[in-house]
Amino acid sequence: MRNMTILVVDDDPVIRRMLEKRLEKEGYEVLLAEDGYQARKILPQQHIDVVLTDLMMPGSIGGIEVLDIAKKISHDIEVILITAHSSVDTAVEAMKKGAADYLEKPINFDELFLRLEKIANVQSIMRNAQDLSQAMDTTESAAAVTIQNLEIRSAELQERMDSIEAILRDDLITPYDRIDKVFDLLAARDNLIT
Amino acid sequence: MLKISPDELKLVAQYIHDISGIYLDQSKSYLFETRLGAIATEHGCSSYKELYQKARSEASKIIERKIIDAISTNETLFFRDKAPFELLQHKLLPELIDARTPNSPALKTNLKIWSAASSTGQELYSIAIIIKEMLPDMSKYAIKLLGTDISDGAVAQASRGKYNKFEMERGLPGDKLQRYFTMFGDSWTIKDDIRAMVQFRKLNLMLPFGGLGKFDIIFCRNVAIYFTLPDRQKLFNKIADSLADDGYLIIGSTESLTGICPRFIPKRHLRSIFYQKK
Repeated sequence: MRNMTILVVDDDPVIRRMLEKRLEKEGYEVLLAEDGYQARKILPQQHIDVVLTDLMMPGSIGGIEVLDIAKKISHDIEVILITAHSSVDTAVEAMKKGAADYLEKPINFDELFLRLEKIANVQSIMRNAQDLSQAMDTTESAAAVTIQNLEIRSAELQERMDSIEAILRDDLITPYDRIDKVFDLLAARDNLIT
Repeated sequence: MLKISPDELKLVAQYIHDISGIYLDQSKSYLFETRLGAIATEHGCSSYKELYQKARSEASKIIERKIIDAISTNETLFFRDKAPFELLQHKLLPELIDARTPNSPALKTNLKIWSAASSTGQELYSIAIIIKEMLPDMSKYAIKLLGTDISDGAVAQASRGKYNKFEMERGLPGDKLQRYFTMFGDSWTIKDDIRAMVQFRKLNLMLPFGGLGKFDIIFCRNVAIYFTLPDRQKLFNKIADSLADDGYLIIGSTESLTGICPRFIPKRHLRSIFYQKK
């Protein structure tokens, strides 16, 4: 198992079946859609990693529209377009709209598998990076709580030291009264916010 | 990868400190090699000493700029660590706007906010988005949002406001993404109304700030951690000089000013801490 689900969208049943067979043999999980309309139904209901769609399909939902629908659901879904040689320009336009890649017909399977492997690699790096940054966030927020408490506490202690110094320097009261006042201040230390 | 010798490590670490204030741990030679190796190769240098000499003698400072770009860490996110932005939105901005609103309705409310190590701009754009959402009628305000960074590359990217999907990945809620960015291929560009609110320029925090004036709020997050203690003390002292008497300073959530700048006192608001001058 390669742990990646691919939605194949093509109105040609022969191509559909061929793609299904080859991709499953490579260990991918495969879902099939006969046209753009079916793809539109499947996309929001299933977790899909890659959409492999024909560019030209009957009806008003072609490959470009499938791309739009997929990207709207999640930017993490990668879309590869399958095009006839004559529509390469359209495919390049599709790349600008966020398609991962395009393949010209007839499909070269080695090429297809290489592209899929690349997508799988990027996705696993992304997941890894997300895990790492989540771990970093957790560490950071735990450290932040500790540091903020220490920061406030040391500021309060500093303030108290300043008050004690001011009392001890106060010539207007007797030394005994100064000591009393200092003890009062020290006794209040348990009230420090922690 | 070109190997760095212990002598070169000393030389290059000192040079990087001189040009940027960044203090790199000399025990981490891989850090120098991974970040500077490519620049050395690109400029036909067979050693780091040669790269150092070339960088120092070059009048155009192209290599120096490349070294700073490579050495400075540019990992930032939109709304990185939610707490300071909530603090800004719910406490600092409302209080400052109250304090700064002039008696005459003909006059505008002036506010100046500075992101002192703006990297690729995400922090300052996040601030701009908050202000935009808070103040629907911007005509009554004159708000200056300045971002500065030591890296030319970072300043250029911040000014373009264009980010790839890796840089967008975390932090930004979907509705804000749709509202404030335009997607093109796999990248997002900040919309013009937000971009027009901000300004980025190059600044080395180790040098005099020269003519920046006083700010009402300064964000200086996660940059002083790359400096030595004496450099941190100098930096926050200059920041205190650049902050309005009732202004606010926000530092990184795991940073501390204890033993660094006695002119600031920490204050707590909910889950965050901010600093004000004594």
